[in-house]
Amino acid sequence: MNKVLSPSIFMVFACLLFTACIKDTDFDQAEDIALTPVIELDLIFFNLQANRFFDTINSTQILTVRDTTEIRFLDDSTLQESLKRAEFYFKFTNSIPRDFQVDFQFLSELNDTTYVTATQVAQGTFAVPVITEFTENVEGEAILLLTQASKVVVSVTIPSSNENLEGTLNLKSKTTYFLEY
Amino acid sequence: MRNLLTIILSLVGVFGVSQNKQILYGFDDIPQSLMLNPGSKVLQKKHYGIPFLSQIHVNGGSSGVSAYDIFKDGNDNINDRITQKIFEMKNTDFFTATQQLELINFGWRAKNEIYFSGGIYQEFDFIAYFPRDLAILAWEGNRDYLDYEFDLGEISTTGDFMTVYHFGLNKQISKKLTVGARLKLYSSMFSYRSVKNSGTFVTRLGDENSENIYEHTVQNADVTVETSGYASLRDLDGAGQVTSEILGRAFFGGNIGVGVDVGFNYEINDAWNLSASALDVGAIFHSKDVENYRAHGTYTLDGINLIFPPLGDGEPTYPYYDDLEDEIKEEIPIDTLYNGYTQFRPTKFNASLSYGFGKFNATGACDCLNMGGENLHKQSIGLQFYSIFRPKRPQMAGTLFYHRRITEYLSAKATYTVDSYSFSNIGLGVSADIGKINFYIVTDNLINYSNLAKAKSVSLQLGFNIIIDEE
Repeated sequence: MNKVLSPSIFMVFACLLFTACIKDTDFDQAEDIALTPVIELDLIFFNLQANRFFDTINSTQILTVRDTTEIRFLDDSTLQESLKRAEFYFKFTNSIPRDFQVDFQFLSELNDTTYVTATQVAQGTFAVPVITEFTENVEGEAILLLTQASKVVVSVTIPSSNENLEGTLNLKSKTTYFLEY
Repeated sequence: MRNLLTIILSLVGVFGVSQNKQILYGFDDIPQSLMLNPGSKVLQKKHYGIPFLSQIHVNGGSSGVSAYDIFKDGNDNINDRITQKIFEMKNTDFFTATQQLELINFGWRAKNEIYFSGGIYQEFDFIAYFPRDLAILAWEGNRDYLDYEFDLGEISTTGDFMTVYHFGLNKQISKKLTVGARLKLYSSMFSYRSVKNSGTFVTRLGDENSENIYEHTVQNADVTVETSGYASLRDLDGAGQVTSEILGRAFFGGNIGVGVDVGFNYEINDAWNLSASALDVGAIFHSKDVENYRAHGTYTLDGINLIFPPLGDGEPTYPYYDDLEDEIKEEIPIDTLYNGYTQFRPTKFNASLSYGFGKFNATGACDCLNMGGENLHKQSIGLQFYSIFRPKRPQMAGTLFYHRRITEYLSAKATYTVDSYSFSNIGLGVSADIGKINFYIVTDNLINYSNLAKAKSVSLQLGFNIIIDEE
C-alpha cells in the first residue's frame, strides 16, 4: 500500500504546485484605479479697518489697497496634473458703510496674469455688518491657467472715503480642491 | 502614487504567511526542523545542507485583503471595491513579507552525543500595519471628515535585511528529555522602523471668532522613522554600487546583534510528546550609519493673513508664504538624529503536543531510522501553537497536524491552521530521502492553489540536504 501511496502523494503535490495559478482576476484594472480625494483648505483672511482707506497725513483718500502673497503649492507639477476642479469660497463681513470691489489676480512666477476673478461686496453698518458670499468655480481649461499661478494679488477698492469712516472689512476664504491621481 | 498602490496590491496574496513554519516544526525527518526547535529530537548522525539550496523560504500575506478582492473580474468598479476594503479593514490588519535563504547549514553528532549544528542564512522581514485613517484621508480627502481626528499613530512598520550566523547544541539528557540552544549573531545590512507614533490631524469648521473658515490642526504629533544602513546608500550611484555595499555588510560590515534560540522535546510516555521553542530572543544594536527622523509638535493652520502694509513703489510686501512655511517648520520641526537604537528581533514561540501511534519499522530487519532503540511512531497527530511578537500585538496561530512516515524514504505532514489570515489554511509537507540526498517541500494554503489570487497568505519552504543516518 505504501509503495502505491508514496508516488501518489508526490503526484498530488506536483499537480498542486504546477496547477497553482491566478485566475478570475484582471490586473489591467490597475489602470482604472483613481484616487479622488476632495480637500478642504483655508486660503487667505484679512481684517481691513476703514481708516486704511484715508491718508490722514496728506488728507487724501486711498481708493485701492493691495497685497500679494505667494501660493506656491498651486503651480506644483503634481497638483497641475491632478487638480480637476477648484472651488473658491470667499466670505466677506462688512461693517463699513461702503460697497467694495475686490479683485483677485493670479500671477505666474514671471508675473504674467494667468487667472482673474472679482466680486462686489455689499455695504454694511458698524452696528449691523453685512455678509457677502462669493463662490468661484474653476474647472476644465481654466484649471490649466489657474495652476500656472504661484501668487495672488488681492485689490480692495472703495468708491470714496473720508477720515470719519468707521468699520471693518473682514474676509475669510477657503478652497475645495477636487483631485484625481 | 497609483503605481505604488498597484505594486502593493499586486504583491498582496502572491507572497505568503508571517514566518509561521507550522509544517516544518516538529517534522524530524527534515534537518531544518532543528532551526525551529533547537531541542528537537535529531534522528540523523550528520547533515549538510546543499549550499544555497538547503532552505529557500518565502512567505508573506495580508490579513485583510487578497489580490482577488481588488482585481477580480466583474462589472463593478475597481475603485468601489477599494473603497469598500479600506473601510472594511482595521488598523490592526497588516501586510507582511518574509524571505530566508540558507547559505550553509550543517550538523554532526559528536562522540559526547551532543549534536552540533551551525550555518548562515540571509533573512528579509517586513511588516506594515494598515494605516486606515491615512488611507481614508488619501482616498477621500478631508471634506467629508470635518471634526474627525485622523490618527497618525496608525503608522507602524518595520523592515530588516540581515545575515544570521548561528551555532547550536542539542543533547538528549535523559530517556525522555532532549534540550537544545542556538546562539545567533545578526549582521544587519539594512533596517528601518517607524513604530510608537502618535498624534492626530483634524479639520474643524471655525466659529465666528475663528481667524478663517477652518482650523486645520495637527495635535501632539510625534512621528519617527529610524533607519540604519540607509544614509550611506543615499550618496551611492546606481544599483550596482548599492548592491555591493549591502553585500559587504553581510560579513559583519554593518550593525551587529545577538540572540538565542532555545527549545526542548519531552516524551511524556510512549504515545504523548510535548515540545516547545523560543526563537530569535535577541536584538540588533544599530549604532553605525544610523539616521533617524522625528517630526513632533502641535500646529493649527488658518491660511494666510494678509496685512495690506502701506508700501512705496516697487517695495515688496511681506513674504507671507515663506513665513508660514517657517512657522510650520518651527512648530512641527523635522529633526534628523544620529543616535543609535536597539531593534528587538521578532521573537517567535512554538509549542506542540502530539500523540503517536503505530510502531514504525520500515524494513523489519533493519530499523534504520531508529538505531537509538526509541519508539518511532508511524503516525502522529497533534496540536501546535505559534506566536510572533509584532509591533502592535503578537500574531498567533493554532495548527492541527497529522504526520506519517510512509516508507523508510518518505514521510509527510498535513496541517490545518487557523491564524490572522484565515480559518481554512491546509498545508502539506513531504520529505523524501533519495540515497543520502534529502529533499523536502512544504507549503500551505493548498485550497487556494487553484487560485492564488484568493489567498491572503502563502508560505513555501523547500530545500536539499545530505543526511548521513546513524549506523
